[in-house]
Amino acid sequence: MQILRQTNLEALDRARNIGADAVLELLEKKGLEGRGGAAYSTARKWKRCKNAPADERFVVCNADEGEPGTFKDKFIMKYNAETMIEGMLICAHVIGAKKCYIYLRGEYEYLRKRLMQQIDDVVARSKMDVSIEIVRGAGAYVCGERTALVQSIMGFRGNPQYSPPNITECGLWGKPTVVNNVETLTCAAQAVLFDDWNANLRLFSVSGNVSNPGVYELPLGVKMSTIIDIARPKRKLKALSFGCFGGIMPVDPNMEVTPETINMEECQHGAFSAILIDETNNVVDIALSIAKFYAYESCGKCTPCREGTIRILDYLKRVKSGEAEKKELETLRELALHVQATSLCGLGQSSGNHVITSLLHFPEDYEHYINKGKAGAGAPAETAKLAQAEGKALENAATPKKARKAAKKE
Amino acid sequence: MIPMKINFNGQDIEVDGKKTLLQICQDMKIAIPTLCYHASLFPEARCRICLVEMDGKLVTSCSTRPREGCKVITSSERIIKARRLNMELMVPKSPSCKKTDDLEVCEIYEQVGLNNTRFKSLKDYKPDLGDAVIRDDNKCVNCGRCVRVCADIQAVYAIDFSSRGHYEHVSPYGEKRLANVACIMCGQCILNCPVGAISERSHVEEVVAALADKKKHVVVQTAPSVRAALGELFSMPAGTLVTGKMVSALKACGFAKVFDVDLGADITIMEESAELLRRVSKGGTLPLITTCCPGWILMMEYFYPELIPHMSTCKSPHEMLGMLIKCYYAKKAGINPKDIVVVSIMPCTAKKFESTRPEMESGVDYVLTTRELGRLIKMKNIDFVKLPDSDFDPALGISTGAGVIFGASGGVMEAALRTAYEVAEGKPLPKIDFTEIRGMEGIKEGKVVLKGKEIRFACAHGGANLRKLVAMKDKYHFIEMMACPGGCIGGGGQPIYKDPDTLRKRMEAIYSADRAMKLRKSHENPIVKEIYREFLGEPGSELAEKLLHTHYKKRERF
Repeated sequence: MQILRQTNLEALDRARNIGADAVLELLEKKGLEGRGGAAYSTARKWKRCKNAPADERFVVCNADEGEPGTFKDKFIMKYNAETMIEGMLICAHVIGAKKCYIYLRGEYEYLRKRLMQQIDDVVARSKMDVSIEIVRGAGAYVCGERTALVQSIMGFRGNPQYSPPNITECGLWGKPTVVNNVETLTCAAQAVLFDDWNANLRLFSVSGNVSNPGVYELPLGVKMSTIIDIARPKRKLKALSFGCFGGIMPVDPNMEVTPETINMEECQHGAFSAILIDETNNVVDIALSIAKFYAYESCGKCTPCREGTIRILDYLKRVKSGEAEKKELETLRELALHVQATSLCGLGQSSGNHVITSLLHFPEDYEHYINKGKAGAGAPAETAKLAQAEGKALENAATPKKARKAAKKE
Repeated sequence: MIPMKINFNGQDIEVDGKKTLLQICQDMKIAIPTLCYHASLFPEARCRICLVEMDGKLVTSCSTRPREGCKVITSSERIIKARRLNMELMVPKSPSCKKTDDLEVCEIYEQVGLNNTRFKSLKDYKPDLGDAVIRDDNKCVNCGRCVRVCADIQAVYAIDFSSRGHYEHVSPYGEKRLANVACIMCGQCILNCPVGAISERSHVEEVVAALADKKKHVVVQTAPSVRAALGELFSMPAGTLVTGKMVSALKACGFAKVFDVDLGADITIMEESAELLRRVSKGGTLPLITTCCPGWILMMEYFYPELIPHMSTCKSPHEMLGMLIKCYYAKKAGINPKDIVVVSIMPCTAKKFESTRPEMESGVDYVLTTRELGRLIKMKNIDFVKLPDSDFDPALGISTGAGVIFGASGGVMEAALRTAYEVAEGKPLPKIDFTEIRGMEGIKEGKVVLKGKEIRFACAHGGANLRKLVAMKDKYHFIEMMACPGGCIGGGGQPIYKDPDTLRKRMEAIYSADRAMKLRKSHENPIVKEIYREFLGEPGSELAEKLLHTHYKKRERF
């Protein structure tokens, strides 16, 4: 796997040798894009931060991987943290930062001890005057959003802020700040060092109704059938959900997986966390589970997300219990589109995706419940056993109390 | 200014790129509905009501700046629908409101065209009944204006958001009650609440009951800043002085006597200037800090208890007058003090708490805010605007310009200096107006020579400025502190206003009232002279100390 290639501080040496501008040029040429989901050019981000006038700058590694069904950052931090730290040092060198932060997801606390040793080791060997501090997230999904993350590091309530001012110009304590994903920073180090580095390779977190869940490195444009072959589902697959926020789309084995083809299905790829759902599930159950997650994880700042998510959940509950009428689906859609169009941050804007896409692709699943309600039959559909292995995150996140209990047991 | 060409509603115009879309709309005379936006607060873009379309995307106009060549649409079916749905989600109750309260949200209902809501309220909170301020989270729409004014303008940080998602709500620290946290009860949150979720603890009913009681002799006293703002509650323009109408209205309400707190202010000045001169000449603790503002007193007790020796021991004017009504006036008029009910009309919510302080031994029974007085007048079906003018009752009703300017920031200081100078120097002031400590600037300072010694003075208003002035207090001999922006004219009990110019207009009204007075110095007030001659002796006498002075104590913040 490319992502596991170690750079052993050679990337940093190279960056120091060729100079900051050349590093930016190199990254631009290699086409490194942010791997958190927004796919913004990393070189451009660093450049904006570098060019913003300030006496102090910060680098933040976003390790608050809270998206259900996503576990690639944990994989990297477990097996190649040194390269990630080196990526942070390269960024610090390029933009001229003296202080870096790793915003570690609260549930990844067990990685902290080892990470600290690795930080001490890499920083000492690099002989750079940079300190890296680990900040533990307090469990809010929204803190993975960069503006909320910055607020959280500063000790405030993790609420997203509108931009501009952009984080790259006015971030931590009002200073220019680069916030990059774990995978992006790791890739940055590798892209600087290896001439044969391939920008096309992505990490897919595969989970759901499959017997082989895990992290796989696959090129963009890979056939869906390849993913299915690797994941080995036990039954016929019905739907694919990209995390919680990407939306739910039908599985087409012939589809080439690229951001464009995914967008064509009204979905978003995000960090390529594919949750595969088989035919025993009703998509409404999945949507309900996701809606629970959003209603719980909304920070409460802006109206459409705060009030909209709870209403969406309400409607989906009504659909499932068979109380809803068909025309209510229109209100549900209207709400979801409204939340998408008027929310402040990315979380809010995507918290209607699952409803919009499931209504678009799986209207029959909704009708199933509505007709059942009409007929008066009470037997529920086979309960969704969505999560397996790491994919349990989805279920756990939706019922946070359970997740906390499980975490305690561990 | 960054000149920028944009397409605004189909029209190519040049705008300042530093302005937000909302400001541009206001310049273009387009009234975008806003809820969480307030001119004096940092925009947070929470409510998503002020949506406009920029380049085909819905954006909040309060927080978005234009891009070169962008296309802005301020009204379309999509925008109106989005605004309406946000409002509908926010207020899951039938959009009815009491017009008497003049809630901002009533106007927004009309602006977004919301008549009905499809959603049932899911909120079930217990109202927080504080000593002076009441919060009902069930009415709250989470606009966060109270939180921002408490933190950014007042620097008190008594409330913030807690919990998340749909359960997010405004709460004092640790879900405690307002009474149990460091809240200075200034009431600025009330002025900023668009839905009336925060309000003062009303005493209108108690006062109505007292008025109906034949055995009681109900006396009312009105603060200087009330007359400059009361008219706004009856649709009169901001800055209209309604002193005469107010007195007529109070008499029509059934109060036996209407007195002027300005007289109390004059007596405060006599006591305070004597205290200042005593401390300056005998080397007491300096700077001397005024104590007319109960909000500031609470702030000091919570956050700066080390300042207690600096504080003047004078009670606030209405407490002084309340005491004199029960001791001096009662004796003179031959009424049993136990039968006298003293009602103060104040621009302030913290005064409600002040009159319940045990160490105050207060002579005041009830405190009504300006807004409550407006409600009382309406309840008594009095046509305020058409009332003739009347004068205060002469027994305790003659006051000076020095008392009137107590209502504005810097006024207490100016009034005290007018008297202190003439008492100390024994000659008239060369210039009666201390213009350097007037106006809306946060911290104002000046100096004067008293008994051959240079006295430096400063005054601050608005909690955040108070904190700044506390940090540099050692530079001064005499400091005036007012917790509300603008002083009492901007008090938490005043009519709710939207136009940021309102405070300046009220302030002008106060100073014009001062200019119109024949007597403008406290020590020239004949009633003050009479009270000291007949009753108190001299400023700082033993009796004056007993009746007109108090003490303070440290308060635990949690």
